[in-house]
Amino acid sequence: MAWFILIMAGMLICAAMAVVAKRLLVSAIWLAIASALLALLIYLLGAPELAVIELSVGAGLVTVLFVFAISIAGEEGHIHQSLLPKWLAGIVIAVSVGLIGWLCLPDLGFEMPQLVPTRLSTVLWELRGADVILQVILIFAGVLGVLGLLSGEQSTISKEPDA
Amino acid sequence: MANVLILLILGLPWLGALLVWWVGDQRSKAQIVLAILFSVLAGVASLVLIPFASNSVALNIPLGGAFGDFTFVADGLGIYLAAIATIIGSLAVIFSVDYMRGEAQLGRYYALVLFFIGGMAGLVLTSNLLLMFVFWEITALCSYALISFHSDDPKAVYGGIKALIVTQFGGIGLLAGALLIYAYSGSYDLQAFIANPQILPPGVLAVTAFGFLVAAAAKSAQFPFQTWLPDAMEAPTPISALIHAATMVNAGVYLLARFYPAFERVPGWREAVVVVGVVTALMAALMALVSNDLKRVLAYSTVSQLGYMVYAIGTGGVFASQFHLMSHSVFKALLFLAAGAVIHSIGTRDIRQMGGLGAQMPLVRTVFAIGALSLAGIPILNGFWSKELILESGSAHGPLWAWVMMVICAGLTALYTFRCFWLVFAGEPRSHLHGHDAGTAMKVALIPLAVGAFLTELLAGPFAYILEHTVPLMEIEVGTTLSILEEVVTTPLTLVALAVVALGLAVWWWREKLSGLSEALAGIGRVAADSFGFEAINRGIVNSTNWLSEKLRRTQTGLLNWNIFGITAGFLLVLIILVIGG
Amino acid sequence: MTLSLVSLTFIAVIGLLAIGLYALLVVHNLIKVVVALQILAKGAILGFILAGRINGQIGLAESLALTVIIVDTIVAVIGLSLAVQIRHHMGTLDVSALTRLRR
Repeated sequence: MAWFILIMAGMLICAAMAVVAKRLLVSAIWLAIASALLALLIYLLGAPELAVIELSVGAGLVTVLFVFAISIAGEEGHIHQSLLPKWLAGIVIAVSVGLIGWLCLPDLGFEMPQLVPTRLSTVLWELRGADVILQVILIFAGVLGVLGLLSGEQSTISKEPDA
Repeated sequence: MANVLILLILGLPWLGALLVWWVGDQRSKAQIVLAILFSVLAGVASLVLIPFASNSVALNIPLGGAFGDFTFVADGLGIYLAAIATIIGSLAVIFSVDYMRGEAQLGRYYALVLFFIGGMAGLVLTSNLLLMFVFWEITALCSYALISFHSDDPKAVYGGIKALIVTQFGGIGLLAGALLIYAYSGSYDLQAFIANPQILPPGVLAVTAFGFLVAAAAKSAQFPFQTWLPDAMEAPTPISALIHAATMVNAGVYLLARFYPAFERVPGWREAVVVVGVVTALMAALMALVSNDLKRVLAYSTVSQLGYMVYAIGTGGVFASQFHLMSHSVFKALLFLAAGAVIHSIGTRDIRQMGGLGAQMPLVRTVFAIGALSLAGIPILNGFWSKELILESGSAHGPLWAWVMMVICAGLTALYTFRCFWLVFAGEPRSHLHGHDAGTAMKVALIPLAVGAFLTELLAGPFAYILEHTVPLMEIEVGTTLSILEEVVTTPLTLVALAVVALGLAVWWWREKLSGLSEALAGIGRVAADSFGFEAINRGIVNSTNWLSEKLRRTQTGLLNWNIFGITAGFLLVLIILVIGG
Repeated sequence: MTLSLVSLTFIAVIGLLAIGLYALLVVHNLIKVVVALQILAKGAILGFILAGRINGQIGLAESLALTVIIVDTIVAVIGLSLAVQIRHHMGTLDVSALTRLRR
C-alpha cells in the first residue's frame, strides 16, 4: 500500500513539474518520468500488456518526438504573460477537484475487487475489431504527422543559409 | 425490395454528389454526365418504388436508444413526393447543361443540386421525426448554397441568407414540435403519433400543431414569411425551378398534409391554416400583377398557388392539395425552365424590355403558353382539374368567404398570367434584344414537361387509390380518374370559377377601356409592390439574427486559455448543480 | 480514516486531470500545450484501468485505454509537427499570437 502511495505521489509531482518547468527539454523529461511511473502503476493494477505499451510509447516514443521537435523548434524566447490570472485558474481547478472529491470519495471506500484476468488480445480482436481497423488508419495519420515534423526540419536547414 | 429502392433513391443522388465533387472542375463533361446519370437513375428508382407502396416500415436502420431507429416508410404520400423531387429534379439537371454552360465551379453546382434532391427524397420518405428535421435542415442548407451560387453577387448572397434564416426560424417550430412529441410519447416515430395524437395533452398538441404550421409557412413561403421566395430569384433559373417545383417549398405543404390527421381536431388550427392560405394566395396574386421581373412574377405565382394548397388542407381536402401540388410541380417547372430559356437567350429579367419574342423562339413560346394556360386554370390542362378540385373541397367544407376570395384569386391568376405572357412573347419588340430558341438539352427538359401538363390529371385515380390504401388515416374517398374528372365537370361551381377566370382574361383584353378602374386600384398596386409591409417582418428576423451573430462574435476569441476556461467553468457549474441537487 | 486502494487511484486520476487542465488554462507555449494534453490523457488511461478493475472487465478497459494511447500519441505527433511548422512560418510558439483569422 505504501508503495502505491509513493508511486502515485511521485507521478503527480512529476506531472506538476512538467507543467511548471521553465525549459521545454526539462519539461519533456519530467513527462517521461511521470509516464514511466504510470506504467508501473498500471502493471501493479493488473494490466501488464498495457503497462508495456505505455512504457514504450508514452515514456519512449513520445519523449523522443518531444526532444526531436524541441531541437527543431528551439526554446521559445519571449512568451506573453498569461491572459488568465494564475490564481483564478487555480481556484477554478481547486474548487472543481474539491467538489468531485466530496461527491465521489464517500462511495469509493470499498476494497479493490479481485483481479479477473482476461487477455487483452482476445478482447481486442474478438470484441473490438472495428477499433483496431480505425487505429490502423489513425497510425497512418501519425505517419503523415511525422512527415510534417521532418519537412519542418528540412526547411529550417534550407532556410539557414539565407539568414 | 422496397428497402433497396429507398436506399437507391436516397443514396444515388448523394453518391452522385460525392462523385461529381471528386471528379473535379477540370473534367466538367464527366461531371455533367455523372449528374444526369445519377439524378435520372434516382428518378427511375422512385418510379419503380410506386408498386411497393405500403404503410409499414420498409427500411429500418437501428441506431441504439438515444434517437430511436431511423425508419423509412414508402407510403403513397411519401413515394409520390419523392417521385416529383427526383423526376423534376433530373429534368432541372438536364436543363442546366445548356443553361450553366461555361460557368465556373460547376462541380459545386451539380453536387449541391444532387444533395438537394436526395435530401428532399429523404424528408418525405422518413418516418422518424428527428431524421425528418435533419433532412428539413439539409434542404434549407442546400437552398441557401444554391441561391447564393453566384457568391460574388451581394444580392444573391443576401437572398440566400434571407432564405436560410427565415426557413431556420420556421425550423425552430418543427424542432420544438418534434421534441414535445418525443417528451410525451417517448418515441420519434411519426406514424405512431399520427395514429394516436391523444397521447399529447390538448394544450401541448395545440402548441405542436401551431409550431408545425409556422415551420410549414416559413418553408413554403406562406403569409407572413412570403417574401424570401421572390428574393431567392437571384439563383440560377434551373435552381428556381428546382426550389419551386421539385423540392423545398413542397416540404411545407407535405408537412401539413402528413400531420393533418393528427391536428385536424385541434381547435382553431384548421381555421388558421385556411386564413394563412387565403391571405397568401390573394396577396401574392396582387404582387404578381404589379411585378415587372419575369422570375418574380413566377415566384409570386408559386406563393399564390401554394396558398391554394394550404387552403385546401385547411378545408380537409388533402387529396385536392396534393393533386394540385403534382400539377403545379409540372407546370411551374415548365414555366420556370421556359423563362430560363428566355433569360438565358436575351440576358435580362425585366419584362418591360421584352415583347415580341414569340417569333424568335417559337418552341419556348408554345411551352410557356401551355404552362401559363395550366396555371390560369384553363380546361383540359392539369392545373384546371386540380384547382377546381380545391375550390370544390373549399365550397363543401370551408367557410364561404374564403371560397369567394379563392375564386377571385383564380381570376387574378388568369389576369397576371396573361399579362406576363403578353408582355414577353406578344406585341411589338420594346428593345433591340434578340433571342434564340432553346438548345437541345433545354428541349429535352421542356418537352416532357409540356406533355405532362396535358396528361398528369389522368394520374388522379391511381394516386387516390394509393393514398387511400397506404395512408388510411387521411380518409380519402375512392374515385377513379374518370369519376374525379366527371365530378369536376358536372359541378356548377366549376362554371362560376371558369366565368371568373374568363373575366380575368377579359380585364386584360379590355385594359385600355378599363383604365379608370386600374387608376383607382393604383394605390393597391403600390402597396402590393412593397409586399404589403410584411417585408418588414422578414427583414426584422434577418437583421436581428445578423445583429445577434455579430455581438456573439466577440465571445469567439480564438484564445486557447479562454476557451479552456469556458469549458472548465461550465464543468464547474454542472458540479455545483449536482452538489445542490444531490 | 484510511483510504482504500480504489479511492487512492481515484485521487491519482483526478490529480492528473486537474494538473493537465490547469496547465491548459495557464500555458502559452504550443509544445507545453501538447505536454498538458499528454498529462490529461494519462489521467484518462488510469481512469479506464481503475474502472476495469472495479467492474471486473480489465480486458475491455485495456483495449479502450490502448485506443486512448494511440490517439493520444498521434495527437502529440500532429501537435508537435504543427508547432514546428508554426514556429517556422510565424516565428513564435505563443498560442495567443495565433489569432490571424480573427477580424
